[in-house]
Amino acid sequence: MAMILSFLKKYRIAALSALCMMLIELSVELIQPLLISKIIDNGIREENLSVVWLWGGVLVGSAILAFGAGIASSFFASHASQGFGYDLRDKLYDKVQSFSYSVFNKFETSSLITRLTGDITQLQDMVFMSLRFATRVPLVVFGSMIMALFVNVKLGLLLTVTVPILFIFVIWMMKLASRLFKKVQQRMDAVNGVIQENLTGMRLIRVFVRMGHEIKRFEKHSKELMKATVSAIRLTETMMPFVLLMMNGGVIAILWFGRKDIAAGQATLGEVVAVLNYTLRTLGALSALSWIMTSYSRASASKDRVQEVFMMEDAVQVDEHSDKQLAQGNRHDSVDGKLEFEKVGFRYPESDISVLEDISFTALPGQRIAIMGATGSGKSSLIRLIPRLYEPTSGIIRIDGTDIRQIPSTQLRGAIGYVPQEVMLFTGTIRENIAWGREGASLEQIQEAAKRAQIHETIESLTHGYDTLLGQRGVNLSGGQKQRLSIARALVRQPSILILDDCTSALDVRTEAALLNALTELSCTTFLITQKISSTTAADLILLLDEGCLLASGRHEELLINSTLYRKIYESQNRKGEEPGYVQDLHRTFQT
Amino acid sequence: MFKTFTEPFRHEFPKLDRQQTSSNGRKPKARAKDWSGTLGRIWRYLALRKAKLTLVLLMVLCSSALALLGPYLVGVAVDDFLEGGEGTAWILFLAGLGLSYVGFSLTSWLQNIWMIEISQETVYRMRLDLFRHLHQLPIPFYGKRQQGEIMSRLTNDIENVSSTLNSSAIQIFSSVLTLVGTLIVMLYLSPLLTLLTFLIVPLMALGMRWISRRTGPLFKQRQKNLGDLNGYIEETLSGQVIIQAFSQEQRVISEFKERNVAIRQSGFWAQTFSGFIPKLMNALNNLSFAVVAGVGGILAIRGAITVGVIIVFVEYARQFTRPLNDLANQWNTLLSAIAGAERVFEIMDEEVEEKHDTDAVKLDHVEGAVVFSGVSFSYDEDEAEETLEDISFEAKTGEMIALVGPTGAGKTTLIQLLSQFYNPGQGTITVDGRDITTIRRESLRSHMAFVLQDSFLFKGTIRENIRFGRLDATDEEVEEASRLANAHSFIKRLPGGYDKVLETGGTGISQGQKQLLAIARAILANPSILVLDEATSSIDTVTEIKIQEGLERLMKGRTSFVIAHRLNTIRQADRILVLKDGRLIEQGSHDELLEQQGFYSGLYQG
Repeated sequence: MAMILSFLKKYRIAALSALCMMLIELSVELIQPLLISKIIDNGIREENLSVVWLWGGVLVGSAILAFGAGIASSFFASHASQGFGYDLRDKLYDKVQSFSYSVFNKFETSSLITRLTGDITQLQDMVFMSLRFATRVPLVVFGSMIMALFVNVKLGLLLTVTVPILFIFVIWMMKLASRLFKKVQQRMDAVNGVIQENLTGMRLIRVFVRMGHEIKRFEKHSKELMKATVSAIRLTETMMPFVLLMMNGGVIAILWFGRKDIAAGQATLGEVVAVLNYTLRTLGALSALSWIMTSYSRASASKDRVQEVFMMEDAVQVDEHSDKQLAQGNRHDSVDGKLEFEKVGFRYPESDISVLEDISFTALPGQRIAIMGATGSGKSSLIRLIPRLYEPTSGIIRIDGTDIRQIPSTQLRGAIGYVPQEVMLFTGTIRENIAWGREGASLEQIQEAAKRAQIHETIESLTHGYDTLLGQRGVNLSGGQKQRLSIARALVRQPSILILDDCTSALDVRTEAALLNALTELSCTTFLITQKISSTTAADLILLLDEGCLLASGRHEELLINSTLYRKIYESQNRKGEEPGYVQDLHRTFQT
Repeated sequence: MFKTFTEPFRHEFPKLDRQQTSSNGRKPKARAKDWSGTLGRIWRYLALRKAKLTLVLLMVLCSSALALLGPYLVGVAVDDFLEGGEGTAWILFLAGLGLSYVGFSLTSWLQNIWMIEISQETVYRMRLDLFRHLHQLPIPFYGKRQQGEIMSRLTNDIENVSSTLNSSAIQIFSSVLTLVGTLIVMLYLSPLLTLLTFLIVPLMALGMRWISRRTGPLFKQRQKNLGDLNGYIEETLSGQVIIQAFSQEQRVISEFKERNVAIRQSGFWAQTFSGFIPKLMNALNNLSFAVVAGVGGILAIRGAITVGVIIVFVEYARQFTRPLNDLANQWNTLLSAIAGAERVFEIMDEEVEEKHDTDAVKLDHVEGAVVFSGVSFSYDEDEAEETLEDISFEAKTGEMIALVGPTGAGKTTLIQLLSQFYNPGQGTITVDGRDITTIRRESLRSHMAFVLQDSFLFKGTIRENIRFGRLDATDEEVEEASRLANAHSFIKRLPGGYDKVLETGGTGISQGQKQLLAIARAILANPSILVLDEATSSIDTVTEIKIQEGLERLMKGRTSFVIAHRLNTIRQADRILVLKDGRLIEQGSHDELLEQQGFYSGLYQG
């Protein structure tokens, strides 16, 4: 609740105005029964026509006033709720973007998406409803009680007694329902998870003819969702008829006592009618309660889920703070690219298995470091430590002699060009995708990066050249072309440290050689995760990893002598007297 | 202060994309006209529970009638009993009133309880149908749409329909009933007052038309913006590692903001306009209240009606506008639900994969002899894209066929033809001498197994992921398959072993390990025809040394089609097909091709 209020604070004027407008409408409505009782007692009973005309006129005037207020409140309430939703979505997205990579991975992507969209919409609707209808309900009830007491204390008391009991009952039910709706939301997540998986793995499912299996799985989750929804809504729907019954009991009581009081001369007919009218109004207001309750319970579940993201503690949060201090104290203007690992160890958060153990090496500016190893040996984790996507659990990493934790992360990452193993391009043009590495890069710079990445000619050959649309709505490039694009994206940053995470796997030998050759022109320290002996031979340093440990390091010739595993790899790629280069790619050669 | 106060009135009106082409250039279907169609389709789902629905309708009928009875009885009480009347009659009267109240609560409770079951079942069926349909759509469909956008239809839009069915459906029906009922009783009590009350109806109609003309497109626009936002969120969250490594957080945040602004804009106007509806109703409600009270008073003074009639009328006037009010409220939800349902049905209307002949057969056993004779194919939509021209070759049972050629040469298309994602334009493809168009697609595919470049893993245990290859495999068979694929040793080393739960996409294990699992999956499937589509391209050579064995075991005795780029894989093939620009330019074994001194040998010599 506090969270919601804090987000609403910015829109308090609009929110309050909306509430004020609603109050105006409300008071008009609440005066009506009173005026009717006047018409009955002073007009009809005393056969005074002018009194009837007078109050009739007042009724018409007030109706017009209420209409104006209603229209204005629509604007205010929309403004407040849409603004609220906008801010909340904005802040939540900021928060998600501020997560370090390991914290980010704690959430499932599909669940983050629902939180950012469905949940926020839910909360936004709740705010709108509160400003327009929901707060109105208690006010109508409360106002009616006051007015009823004002008209006739004794009869009014009947109404005043019934209502609080009902309210307590309703609140209790709301709590129950809220729990049920939380379950509904969880089930919903599960269903969405299956949908997303299926959309992603559609081709595989198709070729393995596993549609039936998947549909069954989806059916199971959907059925659970259906059951949870039914039981949650059933509860809220049971409440309302019960409340109405109680209120109607009140009507009977008022009639019963009203008749007695009139007989005793303690009440007039008009008064009884007015109290009845107030009771009926309360009833009308309460009938909206079930609907409001449902929305509130849902919103409350959504609120919890959104809050969970906001409450996520993250080391990076501390970082940002220290970043500012660092930026003041420690001005690295340029990074030379000397990189040292000192006894670095790493394990994933909440896991006991160490991914890397006791890794030490030094890379000098401009050197090329090749990293080899079988899958799962920790190569990718090792290089992800450099841009601090992960934090080492032990040991120190230094750049130019400074602990990387002492360098502001924007500066650190600004000096690094990273090409991940799995190609990720964004919807947009080729040009935008390359310039993604460096905002405001000129076309020349983009083209130069593309040339170095050996993709320029391919791009030029496309109908729209650099303005070709990529992504699911655009052209589909081959794996190798995508890899080269993502290399260009890293190169356009003119990094001091370049990290290539096995991203030349789909390139043929010639292209790869040309690429590596082009990279030597850049004065950057290059980390190259590779499986090809052809690219390690020229490296200044080869790191051979096995199950998280540094098995051997040194130059090609040294390793041939020192490491049996390296020798094995060399031999397997160099079988039967072939030149090592031709082990690889054949059809990719067509592309160059 | 004043500025903040007037801010709500200064929002810019959003530009509406009236031309909402679905990106692939297809013309959008007429939407506004299709409302009745959409409603009809929803009805077809509802109609599946006709019996229960009838019961619900009956309950609605009862509860609406009882809702009318209450105020009428109260009016009678005012006229006949409050200022006199007989004692026992009064007690009987009150008992009757009490009974009608109990009846009302009971019937409205039942109608709601039953309706929820019906509506949730409906939504469940729709969801399932849509999901089923997704599995029948041709694969290229997915290339053309953003995943987030399809997601949005399966989640947001269906949810919209769900919440509307839960409450609005009944409410609309009971509103109509109450409306008619009220009208009848009112006419009976005082035709003149009824006429006056009804003066507001044309006003209401005008107002409603003005509003709904604006809200319809606005809601659609909002929904579209929501879809865009969804897509963007999904894309950026999936690419989070890149965003962080490039410190582009600020950039995506500001791009996100643009979309966020768009949704605020369309959302604001949609909500504001739809917010007018209840206000208009309220105003007319108050107006009719004034008219009834004023004119009623005058009539009462003249003795034309009693006070009780005024009381009943005042209550009825509200009961009369309240259903209209409800209708108006529900109208909003209904609008967005119909828009949502339309978007759902739009997907269901997408054409499914070409149906094979109805007399297509199911094969129990496949040897794996594949013959392409004179096969040509072009994608009709984008003719510039990869096409195949006059492809003929033969793969004998158990042979290994390597496909070589540049991207766009048609390798993948050839495989897609074989797996019946498309039917060839000309020529025939036969398996064991039988034209594949006469074989049931599922039957053919169940004798094939695929290892794709991007092996996809599901959320679930490793065991479940491997068992995906053959659902009835025992644990032993699963382990045996992973042993053959050389995946057993790494699985054993994982915490939890075979029971380690993988997240969607298989985060937590490496590309190579994923590929090993995919190979194990294919081994388990025990196919006659095997397709390796760049299966080893993402595996390092160190691992490849290990998998090679597994792959060889996998390919043994099966006809395999291998799209590979490693020469040592290609060399082993019994036949190499060299494709270029959709033509088969050379075929033969490695040595034969080298002798031919053609394209392949040129490549080989470098």
